[in-house]
Amino acid sequence: MEKAKISAIQLFALMFIFDLGTALIVSYGVTAGKDDWLSILLGMSGGIILFFIYYPVYRKYPDLPLTSYIGEIFGKYIGWIFGFLYCISFLYIAARNVRDFGDLLSSSTLTETPLLVIHTSFVLVICYVLYQGIEVLGRTAEIFLFVLILLGIIGNFFVLVSGDITFQQIRPPLEHGWGPIITTAFPTITTFPFGEMFAFMMLMPYLNKTKLVKKTWLSALICSGLILSWTAFLNMTVLGLDVMERSTFPTLATIGKVSLFDFIERLDAIVVLTLLLTVFFKAAIFLYSAVIGIVDLFKLKNHQQIILPVGIILIFTSMTIASSFSEHLEEGFDASIKFVHIPFFIIIPFLMLVISFIRNYIKKRSNAK
Amino acid sequence: MNSAWDRLVKKSRRPYKTVQHVEETEIMSNNKGIHSSLDENIEQIKDSFGNSGDLIIRSFRMGKPFSHKVASIYINGLTDKEILGTFIIERLMKDVNLSENDDPFSPSQLTTYIKEHILSITNVRDVPDWNKLFLSLLSGETIVLVDGWNHGFACAAQGGDLRAISEPTTESSVRGPKDSFTESLISNTAMIRRRIKSPNLWLETMELGKITQTGVGIMYMKGIVNDKLLTEVKERLSKIKVDEVQGSNTIEEWISDNIWTPWPTIFTTERPDVVAGNLLEGRVVIFVNETPTPLILPATWNQFFQTAEDYYLRWSMSSFLRLLRIFSFLITLLGPSLFIAFLSFHPELIPTPFLINLASQRQSVPFPIVIEALLMEFTFEVLREAGIRMPRPVGQAVSIVGALVLGEAAVSAGIVSSAMVIVVAATAIASFTIPHYAMTDAVRLLRFCMMILSSLLGLYGIGLGLIILVAHTCSIRSFGIPYLAPFSPFILADQKDSILRLPLPFLSERPRLINQLKTKRIEDSQTSSPENDNMKNQDSKKDSYEK
Repeated sequence: MEKAKISAIQLFALMFIFDLGTALIVSYGVTAGKDDWLSILLGMSGGIILFFIYYPVYRKYPDLPLTSYIGEIFGKYIGWIFGFLYCISFLYIAARNVRDFGDLLSSSTLTETPLLVIHTSFVLVICYVLYQGIEVLGRTAEIFLFVLILLGIIGNFFVLVSGDITFQQIRPPLEHGWGPIITTAFPTITTFPFGEMFAFMMLMPYLNKTKLVKKTWLSALICSGLILSWTAFLNMTVLGLDVMERSTFPTLATIGKVSLFDFIERLDAIVVLTLLLTVFFKAAIFLYSAVIGIVDLFKLKNHQQIILPVGIILIFTSMTIASSFSEHLEEGFDASIKFVHIPFFIIIPFLMLVISFIRNYIKKRSNAK
Repeated sequence: MNSAWDRLVKKSRRPYKTVQHVEETEIMSNNKGIHSSLDENIEQIKDSFGNSGDLIIRSFRMGKPFSHKVASIYINGLTDKEILGTFIIERLMKDVNLSENDDPFSPSQLTTYIKEHILSITNVRDVPDWNKLFLSLLSGETIVLVDGWNHGFACAAQGGDLRAISEPTTESSVRGPKDSFTESLISNTAMIRRRIKSPNLWLETMELGKITQTGVGIMYMKGIVNDKLLTEVKERLSKIKVDEVQGSNTIEEWISDNIWTPWPTIFTTERPDVVAGNLLEGRVVIFVNETPTPLILPATWNQFFQTAEDYYLRWSMSSFLRLLRIFSFLITLLGPSLFIAFLSFHPELIPTPFLINLASQRQSVPFPIVIEALLMEFTFEVLREAGIRMPRPVGQAVSIVGALVLGEAAVSAGIVSSAMVIVVAATAIASFTIPHYAMTDAVRLLRFCMMILSSLLGLYGIGLGLIILVAHTCSIRSFGIPYLAPFSPFILADQKDSILRLPLPFLSERPRLINQLKTKRIEDSQTSSPENDNMKNQDSKKDSYEK
């Protein structure tokens, strides 16, 4: 394990950017219809509930990454297998993120550039930053947090003054009752993007003040949830349900509609840059979690030696994960949620909580005897 | 397998471990004692210096019985001849009655007598061996040798021609003091002493460079500076074992944390007020003899965008200027690469009328936009270098050639578009607003990297380049201080004096460097609001008079 430490602000920046990653740009809550902003808020509360499933387990092992204490909870061998599966799932989600980004870029701005070039350059930069360690990643996130806030302010300002917003688009609220909102919020939005924060269980031991975990985690979750909900709200008011359902990158479409004085128009660069930064950190955190998991499970000396090999695996996974973008998206909303997100970010953590409670109980009883 | 990689990394990270081995030079290794015979000594000195023409040996006899052979030795040009003549040679040659009882002094009595009664000079030291003798001689001191005594005197009569204190050339200021450092270490440190009249201002001197024996002074404020930083600085300085130390850059390159970076990690200045301010913030300053730019460390990125003038202007203006500088830093770094990215990758993002305008300009340009941009930037760099290296009278020709031939003619010949000329010119002007030369240089180089990235991948390439740049900048440290200090790690208290400069009464704390001893610099009793109660009362009194 690295000796480096990150501060609470840095962890906040990482978590905040992590939550916005891809979710800010791709369309994910449309099944809730016009009320997707509401289902995002509900999903956020689901994320808060998930945190209280993760937190007690973390409190028992504040100095260990997930892959170390999962063995203590499930037993040595089963725990090792679960830990390894976690590493693979982190890598898989990282590959999905890279693919999301690569597809957006090749479909919107870099139409001529091959996907492999985009993925390779992106992953190599991630590898460079991770090679420098978690401290540098945290500090870089701190700087880019300000850049993102600035981009967000500029983007929001232009959308708001452009006059494209029609509130008619989101009325009436609860058109089809609470049913679709709740089914979208649980489990889809709860797991993506909020449940994915489980990856931070690998990074928690690097926090310099363990007491601040709860505060940081919850504030990052709530801030990002509110911003995602606000963005979904804006998108819906600008684009309307019909366009929202068909577009894969609604935020890009929203910004694209801005036109002021016939001069300020096509502000796609803001969205692309936002996506680049957020996905960069998201993929980097997943890759880092996978890498330090592997280091921990295979008892390697340091993470730097396997960054590049794992990065190359990531490049090829992201290329071969789906044959086309629509296939990739379909996998994302169906298979990925069912077979990766729900089992790994809800069921196994819940099992861990229950088992560690039972173990505690048994221990206490045997101690009492 | 991995250890080889590790070694490679380690090698690149700690460059100063591979110390240059120097053969012992004959002059400095002579650690033997001085002979007692004057003639032998003179012979030895002449031999060692190869009978150099600027070595002046004046031998004479002194005292009433004229029995004592004495010689004064100095290097021509390093000595103040007036002092030497009046206070050393004249005093020695005067008819001093040394033998009242017709009993000549023994050499040791004589030397004590000379030291205590004759040499009316401010500083006289004994030099016991050749090493010290040569060093003092070469530092401009005058050596007095007496026959029969195996020591010598080193008399402080340094002089010679030095440059006078002049106005700063690269960091000028409108309201601030107009003095700048010179090549003399002592006059530089004196300029600081005049500004900080505190016994806590400590100066440690040493000689570096096996052959050059360059004087180096470490200055700091005892009680504010962190001792760990100080020991680290001294340790790194002591590791410099090279033949020559030519100016402060030699030291900078040997002691800086990371030399594989475009950024300057040690701050240099030629202004005494900047040095004084930095000393009071708890930084360490290294003066090097014969260099008018001392080193200030640790340095942060932020520092290179601040000037002394910021503290002599009103806070609102200096905050604005700082923002302006950061903005022009971004223009310098990204201007041409954004132009390339937009024109060759994302023309759809440019408003249509503007795009048509640009396209019509480029109609006759034969090159792709990247080549055009690189060509123009390269030409500009050539012009800039030519302007600096040319003899001053010819300098005007360069600007005429640059402005008319390369600018105007190239556009009308259709080799470059005028938009490109504007971009390059804007970049150049913006680069001049960055106050510190080292930072300008860094950006000049990084600009080319950004241009290449943007020509390969467009805006995405620029984004990747920025991520790499920021991550790299976050990874470096200057003597333990993160280089991007007040921004990342984020320190709220230091934001008052980083991108903005709030009014001085708000700057109650020194910038946080690692574990400084004293962080408060304004006494608690001083209210942080500049409004004074007495003044208010006066105002109200005035009002009542008027009524």
